[in-house]
Amino acid sequence: MSIVVDSVTKRFGDYTALDDVSLEVRDGSLTALLGPSGGGKSTLLRVIAGLESPDSGTVSIGGEDATMRPPQQRNVGFVFQHYAAFKHMTVAKNVAFGLTIRKRPKDEIEARVDELLRLVHLDGFAHRYPSQLSGGQRQRMALARALAVQPRVLLLDEPFGALDATVRKELRAWLRRLHDEVHVTTVFVTHDQEEAMEVAEQIVVLNHGKIEQMGSPKQLYEQPANEFVMGFIGPISELSGRSIRPHEVDILREPSGGAEEAMIDRIVHLGFEVRVELTLGDGEKTWVQTTKAQAEELELSEGEIVWLRPNAPTADEASDAPVPA
Amino acid sequence: MRSKYALRFIALGYLALLLGIPVVLVFVNAFQDGIGAAWDAVTTPEAQHAFYLTLVMVAVAVPLNTIFGVVAALVIVRQRFRGRALLNAAIDLPFAVSPVVVGLSLVLVYGTRDGWVGSWFAEQGIRIIFSTPGMILATMFVSLPFVVRETIPVLREIGTEQEQAAATLGAGPLQTFFRITLPAIRWGVAYGVVLTTARALGEFGAVSIVSGRLSGQTETATLFVESEFRRFNEVGAYAAAVVLALIALVTLLAMNVIKPKEAQT
Repeated sequence: MSIVVDSVTKRFGDYTALDDVSLEVRDGSLTALLGPSGGGKSTLLRVIAGLESPDSGTVSIGGEDATMRPPQQRNVGFVFQHYAAFKHMTVAKNVAFGLTIRKRPKDEIEARVDELLRLVHLDGFAHRYPSQLSGGQRQRMALARALAVQPRVLLLDEPFGALDATVRKELRAWLRRLHDEVHVTTVFVTHDQEEAMEVAEQIVVLNHGKIEQMGSPKQLYEQPANEFVMGFIGPISELSGRSIRPHEVDILREPSGGAEEAMIDRIVHLGFEVRVELTLGDGEKTWVQTTKAQAEELELSEGEIVWLRPNAPTADEASDAPVPA
Repeated sequence: MRSKYALRFIALGYLALLLGIPVVLVFVNAFQDGIGAAWDAVTTPEAQHAFYLTLVMVAVAVPLNTIFGVVAALVIVRQRFRGRALLNAAIDLPFAVSPVVVGLSLVLVYGTRDGWVGSWFAEQGIRIIFSTPGMILATMFVSLPFVVRETIPVLREIGTEQEQAAATLGAGPLQTFFRITLPAIRWGVAYGVVLTTARALGEFGAVSIVSGRLSGQTETATLFVESEFRRFNEVGAYAAAVVLALIALVTLLAMNVIKPKEAQT
């Protein structure tokens, strides 16, 4: 189901967590709320779930106004960063919880729990307790629990934030595949731009309680609406007083029109990627991202003088293009 | 190495002097004239009534204080309002005030002739002081803080995420409380219940003042122990004390038996 958030404001005392935020999430889509901590993304998710009530504005789910509804009547699935596992219940009881509350017949519950445990690859763990599972397993259990009641929308609050890097990568890919299988409208919160880019179809960048930009990962990367989005969505470096993607700079051995003179301080080999750190004529530091092949072709070495030239339209020019915000 | 044994010696020696030896001596003295004499001493009508009355105190005070304790802990941990700190401090009052003072203040409030609540009840024909209701009130007062104090830390520790998860899964407030919150805090509550029971069993000072100490009528087990002691009936006093200790022990054991394996890990 689609989600429409209309001019929602939420304050905690003097602190404004959400400042007149409006947002539309398409039915069946996978959306990331991305931003620095304290940007308001978790609050927005909790407002959608009904765990916080907005000071003003409305939330509608599937076309009906849900602003005044308590969470138990919204039929949303919510997954918490720290799993919120029911510690005194087995995995099967955890997953069955929503169905038990709805007083579904016993054999229906059993069948559904079996099906979901297979879906999240936890078949065989039904009779364990959450304390006997790893973090990744607990989070998959929490996901199965949220999906059990066939929610209209699935909301995930930093779902992989408490997991270590490897498990996190695995679960990201897995969430993506799960969404392709289940097709439930999904919104997840993250502060990790790579995670947002990798998993989501649509990214909403939130900062200081306001939406900075909304769009596909490609749009956000190539046409950032402002400096903040540009800096948050990928690496930036400075050239001629402007922000630019470090791979959108050509290194030249000879001076040329519009190219700036610079001295190579350091060359860092990161495998396929090579990072060249330089000092510009005016004493400013910058860096350029290039490939191993290019660096070898140019025969770059530390201490040499080279010329730098942008090879793509800069952010200022790009933002003239129409951007959905 | 030597300091390790010294520490152990101090800890164990202290316990032995204060706790171990006196308790053992109570048992020894109870059975000094044989098991038969001890049995006779605790099965007189007065003794039986005293134990019955003590169990009534426990049966009323413990459930009421458990319900109040859980509610108070929920209010203190989960709600923000003016006077919360005051409530939190007031709950410790029974720890701070001597039971004798508690007894006297209950007489002032509930006394039949002069008490400002008690005189109204007397007109309705209900006697509070020098009767069972007053003794129950005294027992409730002195055993009030335990469940609250044991529940607050576990309630803080579990946080609210499990409850929020239950809400998003469709559980109403009561379902969430009975299915999620209560099971999560149950060992804190259970320990509070054990302490409340022990305190209710052992209460002497406050109950002594409000009871009037009519043998066979308003005498609880602890009051019975003391009056036997005063009458130089050592076997009676010590045997009754042993029974009290055994009841407390059974409570503790019962708690350990019902505790499932999952909670012990």
